[in-house]
Amino acid sequence: MSEVAQKETMLSFIDGEIISNAKTVAIKAINVRGQVALEETPFPTRKDEDWRFIDMSAIKKNKFSSVNDSNAAKIGDISKHFLPEALNTRLVFVNGIYNEELSSISELPHHVIVGNMTEFGDHDAVKEHLGNITNFEDDVFAPFNDAAFEDAAFIYLPEETSVDAPIHILNLFTDAENAFYATPRLLFVGEMYSKATIIEEHIGLADNVYLNVPVTEFRLFTGAHVHHARIQRDSKSAIHVSRPIAMLDRNAEYHSYTICLGAKLFRNDPRVIQNDAEVDFTVDGLVLIDGDQIADTHSILDHRFPHGNSHQLHKVVVNDNAHSIFNGKIFVAKDAQKIDSFQENRNLLLSDNGTVHTKPQLEIFADDVRCSHGATIGHLNNDEVFYLHSRGLTEQKSRELLVYAFALESVESMEVKSVEKLLLNEVIKYTTRD
Amino acid sequence: MLEIKNLHAKVDGEDIAILKGVNLKVNAGEIHAIMGPNGSGKSTLSKVVSGHPEYEVTEGEILFNGEDITEMDADERAHLGLFLAFQYPVEVPGITNRTLLREAFNTIARANDREELDPLEFEDYIESKLEVIDMKDEFLNRSINTGFSGGEKKKNEIFQMAVLNPVLSFLDETDSGLDIDALKVVSDGVNKIASADNAIVMITHYQRLLNYIKPHFVHVMMNGKIIKSGDIALAEALEANGYDQYEKELAVDGEA
Repeated sequence: MSEVAQKETMLSFIDGEIISNAKTVAIKAINVRGQVALEETPFPTRKDEDWRFIDMSAIKKNKFSSVNDSNAAKIGDISKHFLPEALNTRLVFVNGIYNEELSSISELPHHVIVGNMTEFGDHDAVKEHLGNITNFEDDVFAPFNDAAFEDAAFIYLPEETSVDAPIHILNLFTDAENAFYATPRLLFVGEMYSKATIIEEHIGLADNVYLNVPVTEFRLFTGAHVHHARIQRDSKSAIHVSRPIAMLDRNAEYHSYTICLGAKLFRNDPRVIQNDAEVDFTVDGLVLIDGDQIADTHSILDHRFPHGNSHQLHKVVVNDNAHSIFNGKIFVAKDAQKIDSFQENRNLLLSDNGTVHTKPQLEIFADDVRCSHGATIGHLNNDEVFYLHSRGLTEQKSRELLVYAFALESVESMEVKSVEKLLLNEVIKYTTRD
Repeated sequence: MLEIKNLHAKVDGEDIAILKGVNLKVNAGEIHAIMGPNGSGKSTLSKVVSGHPEYEVTEGEILFNGEDITEMDADERAHLGLFLAFQYPVEVPGITNRTLLREAFNTIARANDREELDPLEFEDYIESKLEVIDMKDEFLNRSINTGFSGGEKKKNEIFQMAVLNPVLSFLDETDSGLDIDALKVVSDGVNKIASADNAIVMITHYQRLLNYIKPHFVHVMMNGKIIKSGDIALAEALEANGYDQYEKELAVDGEA
């Protein structure tokens, strides 16, 4: 029995076969590679160390199928989701399918590419980099995306170019008739000394059940600087499993912020790989969950060369029966000396029934490094509540203000004003829900 | 203005009485000092009056302008014009002084059917209060008490008092931890705020503060009760002779 169970793969949980509709050779090759990996890799269970606290069997129960695209046309006015700073640097994908009408790309420097990959499938950067850094052992979700994606966001910055406006990758999910899966894909290639800000958003337009499995690949060459904000506002019934990966060459900087607000089940495995000396990166997160939401972040900061700085602040607020999991791995290879890495996970529990699991995991093989980590789990401090309360604020307002202050730190690092405002509103909405 | 009658209180959930029958009357325009050794219950009195949820009143009542406030929430008491300057002001990272004060000021205004101030009006208003404690406006942008020195925290309490303009203020050991310069600034501020319309109750261990803020009445608190009241001469006697004589008296009464 158990042997049969172990052989269950993602493919057996999906309704129908995954059919490759790739329009280019490069995408086709990745589709095939994904299909093969899926056939060979067992689906994770809670017996697997990395999946101990999150039960993915909901994927099996739902029998997700490929998207029934007919609803995409009826999504209505979604212009409120457009960012004023990115009116002409926006790609929109509906249920993972590129939507040209809603997208708007016009203000780009010469030779910069922001578009649907199928139109640029023969580009050298696609041929060379697509799928190169997302290939992890025993993983089924990146291969699932590999196998199923057809359209993809492709961003290419030639040497010494910088895009001033933030590039908005807007992934929308509709209230389709079937429980569908979507596989948004993003490949970013920044050549030497290029610079850009990417806002990757996932928005569920209704409260339906769907499976969102995005993969983002960021390949940064020497001196490339990138800010990458990821805002997850999926439907509260959705399942979201993310694989955002970045690889950095010398003097590259990659600063990422993941904000988790939606989804019933959220699993995020960010990974940053230091591919040469002297890099700088951030992998921050803010998780605001309530109800029965589960948010699980398994991150890897992978220092393979000397002189790297990394910083990770993962903040979590848990209300009701919600459950947060954080597993933060920091790898420092044997010869990767002079690494300076800092990891902090701060959890705020607002209810008696919320759950938090946190585990720093440092694997350091070099002897001259500075790596520190810390984790705290706590309720709101009663002295702080009373202090505000005694100044005339209601107890509820005092609590809201303290939660807001806790979350604010992560939001303040947003460089795009409208995104900062949007997130502040989300934080207020979260704290004042009663 | 304030009338405390036979007030008994204990820590919520515990059985040990801390206040054992406090009586105190404070009128508008008055400054009172309550002195007493450690553990006499004087800090507890200020917390109970301000509505700290950690304490439970088991007997007696607190009347404020004739209204019984014994069971009121802390914010409602603040709306009536009560203010507590904390002995240990709490650090609140992430919320600036300005945010707290605007929120508090406007909440109190709303509760009293007064006009709220819009951000610009409020800005002018708090700027004008900064000079009360000789503070720079960058002070407003800092998170509440976060990383403040002991002196700055105490100054911040008096600044908040100046902004919220309370009717009755309890200053809980506001002098503790202040060097001489800071003590002068803080007491200067309190003297500027004191008027014929408001009242101040200072809780202190030492007579030092009373050299700078002159009380009309001095009370000695011991073992959960006010056992003697008088004028500044009482404080001077305490400074000279300490609390020993009262402790002996209590011992004779069989209460110590």
